[in-house]
Amino acid sequence: DRSSGPRVSDTELRVYKDPSKDELPLLPEELVQDSAKDVTYICPFIGPVRGSLTVTNYRLFFRCTDREPVFGLDLPLGGLSRVEKIGAASSRGDVSYGVVCKDMRNLRFVHKEPENSLKKSVFEVLMKFAFPVSNNMSLFAFEYKQVFPENGWKVYDPLAEYKRQGLPNESWRISKVNDHYELCDSYPATLFVPVTITDEELRRVSSFRAKGRIPVLSWIHPESQAAVVRASQTMVGQNGRRCKEDEKLLQAIMDANAQSHKLFIFDARPSVNAAANKMKGGGFESEDAYQNAELVFLDIHNIHVMRESLRKLKDVVYPNIEESHWLSNLESTHWLEHIKLILAGALRIADKVESGKTSVVVHCSDGWDRTPQLTSLALIMLDSHYRTIRGFQILLEKEWLSFGHRFQQRVGHGDKNHTDADRSPIFLQFIDCVWQMTRQFPAAFEFNEYFLITILDHLYSCLFGTFLCNSEQQRLKEEVPKRTVSLWSFVNSQLEEFVNPLYVHYPSHVLFPTVGIRHLQLWVSYYIRWNPRMRPQEPVHQRYKELLAKRAELQKRVEELQREAANRMASSSSERAGSPTRSITPVQTFV
Amino acid sequence: MEHIRTPKVEQVKLLDRFSNKSVTGTLHLTATHLIFVESNSTSILHHHIASVEKLSLKTNGCPLLIQCRNFRLVHFVIPRERDCHDIYSSLLRLLRPVSYDELYAFSYNPKQNDQQREEGWQLIDLAAEFERMGVPCDQWQLTDVNREYKVCKTYPRDLYVPIMASKPIIVGSSKFRSKGRFPVLTYFYQEKKAAVCRCSQPLSGFSARCLEDEHMLQAISKANHNSRYIYVMDTRPKLNALANRAAGKGYENEDNYSNIRFQFVGIENIHVMRGSLQKLLEVVGTRSLSMTDYLVGLENSGWLRHIKAIMDAAIFLAKTVTVEGASVLVHCSDGWDRTAQVCALGSLLMDPYYRTIKGFMVLIEKDWISFGHKFADRCDQLDPDPKEVSPIFTQFLECVWQLTEQFPQAFEFSEWFLIQIHEHVHSCQFGNFLGNSQRQREDLQLKERTYSLWAHLLSEKQNYLNPVYSPSFAESHPVLEPSTQAYHFKFWRNMYHQYDRSMHPRQSILKHVLTLKDSNRELEGTVQALKTKLQKFSVSTSPLNRKEVQQEEDEEVFGEEAMEDAPAITGGERTVEGSSATENGYGELMGSFGSKNEPGAVTLEFGVARMTC
Repeated sequence: DRSSGPRVSDTELRVYKDPSKDELPLLPEELVQDSAKDVTYICPFIGPVRGSLTVTNYRLFFRCTDREPVFGLDLPLGGLSRVEKIGAASSRGDVSYGVVCKDMRNLRFVHKEPENSLKKSVFEVLMKFAFPVSNNMSLFAFEYKQVFPENGWKVYDPLAEYKRQGLPNESWRISKVNDHYELCDSYPATLFVPVTITDEELRRVSSFRAKGRIPVLSWIHPESQAAVVRASQTMVGQNGRRCKEDEKLLQAIMDANAQSHKLFIFDARPSVNAAANKMKGGGFESEDAYQNAELVFLDIHNIHVMRESLRKLKDVVYPNIEESHWLSNLESTHWLEHIKLILAGALRIADKVESGKTSVVVHCSDGWDRTPQLTSLALIMLDSHYRTIRGFQILLEKEWLSFGHRFQQRVGHGDKNHTDADRSPIFLQFIDCVWQMTRQFPAAFEFNEYFLITILDHLYSCLFGTFLCNSEQQRLKEEVPKRTVSLWSFVNSQLEEFVNPLYVHYPSHVLFPTVGIRHLQLWVSYYIRWNPRMRPQEPVHQRYKELLAKRAELQKRVEELQREAANRMASSSSERAGSPTRSITPVQTFV
Repeated sequence: MEHIRTPKVEQVKLLDRFSNKSVTGTLHLTATHLIFVESNSTSILHHHIASVEKLSLKTNGCPLLIQCRNFRLVHFVIPRERDCHDIYSSLLRLLRPVSYDELYAFSYNPKQNDQQREEGWQLIDLAAEFERMGVPCDQWQLTDVNREYKVCKTYPRDLYVPIMASKPIIVGSSKFRSKGRFPVLTYFYQEKKAAVCRCSQPLSGFSARCLEDEHMLQAISKANHNSRYIYVMDTRPKLNALANRAAGKGYENEDNYSNIRFQFVGIENIHVMRGSLQKLLEVVGTRSLSMTDYLVGLENSGWLRHIKAIMDAAIFLAKTVTVEGASVLVHCSDGWDRTAQVCALGSLLMDPYYRTIKGFMVLIEKDWISFGHKFADRCDQLDPDPKEVSPIFTQFLECVWQLTEQFPQAFEFSEWFLIQIHEHVHSCQFGNFLGNSQRQREDLQLKERTYSLWAHLLSEKQNYLNPVYSPSFAESHPVLEPSTQAYHFKFWRNMYHQYDRSMHPRQSILKHVLTLKDSNRELEGTVQALKTKLQKFSVSTSPLNRKEVQQEEDEEVFGEEAMEDAPAITGGERTVEGSSATENGYGELMGSFGSKNEPGAVTLEFGVARMTC
């Protein structure tokens, strides 16, 4: 039942069937903090509507009262990045408030200031509860106590996942060197490294890699043993420092794969940026120091460029689209260009591993933004397990969460500092790339588009603990798994909503998407979903589901008839000896 | 054949358009086709060739560039210059037939007898179509005024006009209309008794009037009791219509006609459309295209904007008729290009019948063929005037495709049906699209001497079915209301890149639905077979004839397309899908990095290509 679940609405304005009912569906522990009547919502699509505004510790809820049908606006406070008063009060005492959201929309309300200046306006309450971290309160995720049949915190077990990949083996071992996060506080506790490298050597390497993020194994090819290894940049600096343990480690990584005598190092950055990093003590591997290694730059830009690109995209798609310049406006955001570069980079990595049987090391500067984008996309291409619903969850838990993508900083959960330069839509870009792949391989992914959108909605909602904090260590310290509910608890308790009916499970099937520009398109059903004129494409899937149901029914019917035939046959053959009893072979199924 | 100097050249290289790959094979030149044979063969009908270009000699031979009207671009390298020149000059002659008799349709023989051929031509019956709409009726009648093509040479014989339009009114009105194309009925919306009529521009100049023409419009208006007004849609931009006045043509003056509502729609003329498509093809044909060049180029070509303009006009037409219940008169200049686009697309939005395979054929036969869209001129069939060539019909097909994207369940046919029609509009293999008017087609005795495309397409109907078509959707959505927000208009990759195999993704939802439908069909067959078997048991206890059952199952074979790429489950073996590093988009990217790709196998055959000839 969706109504009781924490569903973020997929259209801006939800129409209510029974307006007489009070339809604010409060979640467990959700409490109304304030409400006001006579608030006007300036809807960019249908114009101003009057109604009441309610603020709880989880959401903002606007219920329109002057229109038929009655509808509401319902969004989690976590999705707000900025609430501000616009201009001064009008002569009639009306004040305008702008609400900027993380999910591509801007809302605008008009409200009469309370006459009693001691009473707080509902918007002041909103500002307080929208940014609990800035106001020394806890995020709603720590209050929310819904119990789901499945515990999503158990989805990812690092040892089980590496075991699935056949690890440890003769070349790769588990290292306990980061058990208490003393080697690298942004890395997970469980690390896989070549057997020939000692923990002591790893400690030395950690001082040579930015933030101590040493090269460790992310994935290993089940046949060729070619490995995907991730790291941060080397601290080469202007003087060209070297570290023999680091060189040894990369040599050991190469040696662990007997198939190839080469190692590819993919530096996600544009070469200019990588070079500029030398000024700050960073840099990249020189080919002199690392024999047999080939360095490739992938030209992906940094978090600031990406943030700016999304900001422009928001201007282009919300609220209204300039018809005559749609494509050139889209172009000016460079969003698709960035998507293309990320996908192309991941494709090169996957191709080197699969076709070249060569191990690869992937890094950017700190190894927690572009690196997980590239490794996780390459892994999706290489390993069909990550294209299942649970496999995708494991991938996110592993490549993004355990390896310390700084979700708290990049999203700014509960923080009112909306201009923070650490915010960036890195994870959104990754999900966009996954969506692009699902367009090209509609039958290769177990999950549907709604699954991806749900993940993005709850990236911001702060309802679940999954995307809180910056690292595994922080999450343990804050006892996030104990004190909050995992998004996967919710998802895995109603899987049918997220299943792609077209999915065909091909084990060991590698996907190489085309990254040609003709194949990349704007994810309209995410970025433009608030526009009421956006037409979703669901019906095809609906039709497919109908066909699947029909097939199941037919298969049942065939079985029944076969059983009946067999019975008749048996009874008749008992009368006449030698009549044929072989029944028609059951029809093959492929899904 | 006299024009063929060198029928065969060996060691010819065929280069892939978007990668550095090439294949070597033998090139054959026949009277009707250019055939390239390697492991699989590529054949190009001469009629499909738009231009041949001999490029300057290179070290590995002489390049020959062939551009086709179905958006295929073939790049051969022929080792010896003399051979190249022979092929080049033969083609130049072959692709410019000087008389209709030289067209492929007159030599094409699908091994059918005369009766089959006749039946093929009888498939589409426009009189029956008007009957289906409810015409003739108390307000609309069939007129024989054009029986001898005397009133209008480019109209069909059978025309439907309001009861009140007498012969003198018709004749008078026709004299006041460009090319004599007076207002006649093309679609009748029975539910509201509203009519869609079409004509050409009035010869109004700056002040001329014609009482008969005014009566004609009044007669159309009076035939519909639902609305006091009729709408007159001039599909041209206002500026163009104004310019026409100087030439003694123009548009209706609202003061002279009682109860009309006049409206400009703003679809550009054939020259603008020709230029726009050219720009579009230039952009998408560029190798190593950057995202910026692509998006900006797509926008600057204006192509999708023109598609939107046509769609907007059709939506306006459909709304006026179905919601307001008013009759609409549509015209442009001569009433055979934009008018055909808008009337046909508008009818398609209003009537689910036109969204079926048969209905779509009827629609094309009615609004395009019978009302004299100049296929011969626009599609460059015979000794052409380049100024007359224009992708007007292609635009119509694309509009329909854009609709199929927005309403995947509303159409009985898939895009391959549209692409196949497009293929044959240019192939001159069937008689349907030859010539410029019905009269000319009769003179050419096409029905006696050529075959009908519709029969051919219906015989392979299975290939063109849209697996997600839902007749119940059509019932619940009789009138389609598409959105024309800019982001709903997409580049039609499968049309403009239909032969660029590397441009297409390998998995399609439609294929999967087809496979599933196929499997359901098989199951239904099995159920049926089992039922029959059980019935036989109950009738007699004699053992079942297994062979019979088997046959019944075997009959349920679906389009080969579906089977071909049915997903196979592989065991533990690793399989790769999609572009390999040397192919495709990745190749594009590699190209920009300056690295070389090794040659590999490539086939130009894709999709419908192999169904031709």
